[in-house]
Amino acid sequence: MLESIVKRDGREVPFSIDKIATAIYRAAEATGGNNYEESLELASQVVNYIEQTGNTKPTVEEIQDAVEKVLIETGHARTAKKFILYRSDRSKFREMNTRLMKIYEGLTFTDAKENDIKRENANIDGDTAMGTMLKYGSEGAKQFNELYVLKPEHAKAHMEGDIHIHDLDFLTLTTTCCQIDLVKLFEGGFSTGHGYIREPNDIASYSSLACIALQSNQNDQHGGQSIPNFETAMAPGVRKTYRKLYVSNLSKGLELLCGYDDALEATKNLCKEVEATYKVSPILANDNGYQEKELELLVNKYKLPVEAVKRAQAFAIKKAAKEIDRKTFQAMEAFVHNLNTMHSRAGAQIPFSSINYGLDTSPEARLVIKNVLLATEAGMGNGETPIFPIHIFRIKDGINYNPGEPNYDLFKLACRVSAKRLFPNFSFMDSPFNLQYYKEGDYNTHVAYMGCRTRVMSNVYDPSREIVSGRGNLSFTSVNLPRLAIKAHGNVDVFFEDLDRKIDLIFDQLYDRFLIQGHRKVYNYPFLMGQGIWIDSEKLKPDDELMEVLKHGTLTLGFIGLAECLKALIGAHHGESVEARNMGLEIVSHMRSRCDMKAKETGLNFSLIATPAEGLSGRFVRMDKERYGVIPGVTDRPYYTNSFHVPVYYPISAFEKIKIEGPYHALTNGGHISYIEMDGDPSENLDAFEAVIRCMKENNMGYASINHPVDRDPVCGYTGIIGDVCPRCGRHDGEGISEEVLRRIKGYTKNLCSCDENPLEDADKIANPV
Amino acid sequence: MEEKIVGEGVKFERIRRITGYLVGTLDRFNDAKYAEVNDRVKHQVSTGTGAGVFEKV
Repeated sequence: MLESIVKRDGREVPFSIDKIATAIYRAAEATGGNNYEESLELASQVVNYIEQTGNTKPTVEEIQDAVEKVLIETGHARTAKKFILYRSDRSKFREMNTRLMKIYEGLTFTDAKENDIKRENANIDGDTAMGTMLKYGSEGAKQFNELYVLKPEHAKAHMEGDIHIHDLDFLTLTTTCCQIDLVKLFEGGFSTGHGYIREPNDIASYSSLACIALQSNQNDQHGGQSIPNFETAMAPGVRKTYRKLYVSNLSKGLELLCGYDDALEATKNLCKEVEATYKVSPILANDNGYQEKELELLVNKYKLPVEAVKRAQAFAIKKAAKEIDRKTFQAMEAFVHNLNTMHSRAGAQIPFSSINYGLDTSPEARLVIKNVLLATEAGMGNGETPIFPIHIFRIKDGINYNPGEPNYDLFKLACRVSAKRLFPNFSFMDSPFNLQYYKEGDYNTHVAYMGCRTRVMSNVYDPSREIVSGRGNLSFTSVNLPRLAIKAHGNVDVFFEDLDRKIDLIFDQLYDRFLIQGHRKVYNYPFLMGQGIWIDSEKLKPDDELMEVLKHGTLTLGFIGLAECLKALIGAHHGESVEARNMGLEIVSHMRSRCDMKAKETGLNFSLIATPAEGLSGRFVRMDKERYGVIPGVTDRPYYTNSFHVPVYYPISAFEKIKIEGPYHALTNGGHISYIEMDGDPSENLDAFEAVIRCMKENNMGYASINHPVDRDPVCGYTGIIGDVCPRCGRHDGEGISEEVLRRIKGYTKNLCSCDENPLEDADKIANPV
Repeated sequence: MEEKIVGEGVKFERIRRITGYLVGTLDRFNDAKYAEVNDRVKHQVSTGTGAGVFEKV
């Protein structure tokens, strides 16, 4: 006789046959039945069945098993089916609740330092109110999408770690990133969705509007934002400001030398008159004959003395040149400072931003490049290293690579700044896969890099639009290469067959996601689509779907752990043997050719990315270690090696590493980056620094950077390498220091609590090399 | 006069590149990335002097 049952949470409650009968009745009802008596009769059969097994305290699960069995055996197949469905829905729901609530509990009651989920992305401060709120949303959305949106086979592959669907929380919401053409955006002004902004008229407004554009777009997408043509987009601001500065200085000169009381209005009108009559403006290069025309007008029409006018003009040129440099520096300083302080995404992040520059040789653009580099070198208010934007200095033969080329000085400066501040990174326009698009003077054909490494250039959907502006990645999903290799037990054929199956699965999942994205509407993205940032979106109406315009974006297959994969498959990684090197290239070439075939077949931009694994670096290996145990060189570390990189722990020369990784850049058309870790302070050895960058170019890399330790002691302001002890003030980490000693070291007497002065770092600034 | 001590409890900042972007403190790195950063070894640039070494590449 059944008296009690055991609930899921372990509590015992009195048994009630009515509850079983009701559950059966509901299932029957759903298929059109309405006989409670019959349900009760079936319920008592269930009880009999359980009693026969000798079980006197069944669990809920055991009772449900019995119900299923009885329903099927008594010929109630349709009711059984409903009951099973209902049961699985309930258990899904319960599972989601418990898993999610566990995660919420962690987010709520533990600090980021004890909670890995809160540190999934290092640029989100998980300890802040908004950072935690963002994580609640993100974790809830991930589970919802796993359970209710993804196809079961995609969800399973993701949850079990065969594949990783990046930014799963945003699955139904938006796309990854975009290359924002500021030239186009600023023309005629734009709206942020919260107000209209006029076309800027000053370099200061150009730089602050650039920040606003990055910030606004960041809220419409889940990835980073990139400006592909930074110096070219800022140059008109420099031009406009220079014109104003020239006019105001000329008016001062004329006041002094020609006895005017207030010449500003008159000088402004004069400038307009020259412009209207001769179609020339005062410009930085001063090579368009403006001065001559102006002189002519002032002497012949306004009867001013020649000598005085010439002197006033020379004064204006000299002063304006100096002032435009200063103004541009201030604008670039504000740009860098803003991007490190502005909030985005409910305040949990600062905009994840990248700027590409280096190729524009106009005097205005050069001034922008020089000053954005100098502002970065100077650092933040207390000399801290700016975290954003990511700077990408483009290198190109004939423009900035060799001595004597117009922007070679800026390349040298870029090396100096990167040696101190880790940015800029360097991109290489002469590598064949980038050079094939390159047209001189047309920034739309100059390959740009976004955020961590994303690259968007080719366009199978519309080959006449192989351009950078207005395009980006839609989504990407990575395959767990090491697991495939572990499962293949050294059989390369088995490995490739399995890899092909995973690639098929990923293509299918990317396409499903694309369909969801494509059904979204313009009004879902007030800035990205509403302001025509995304290519062709300006042709759409607010209620239009995005399907067609999104086809310009990329759908991207990624991979992680090539090194561990090779180790598991053939016993060595590509740093260790030539055989592994060849096998590595074979694997990645295969993935690339699968992407190319898929792109051709669908007319969509399927591409291959060397995954920037941050959250993923530990996720796959954690699962694989649990499944397959500790395999030396494969699962014995807490992370899988980034994409195609030679493992970070493997001793190898910079030259060798570049040579090995170079060919992978050509294969990963959806994005790539390589790093070299340099010893010591590269500021002390800029020749070596530049030599490494040159080596990267000569090996046809697309995008690369040099890592070196950048430490800072906030107490004395020292920036450089700090071991256990600060080389400037001699204190250990966290240790106090006598104020008197510090004062002697710093050579100043200001109150140490004031954070707005840092004389020592100011003294470290060096003269402009340009 | 008593000596005044400043800077107690103030930690050094260690800026590192995580996956293409920079992070101002290692405290924000997730466990796997933290382990990876600690494992990074330096790549010898050259035994010779500067640029010449790479010219043949």
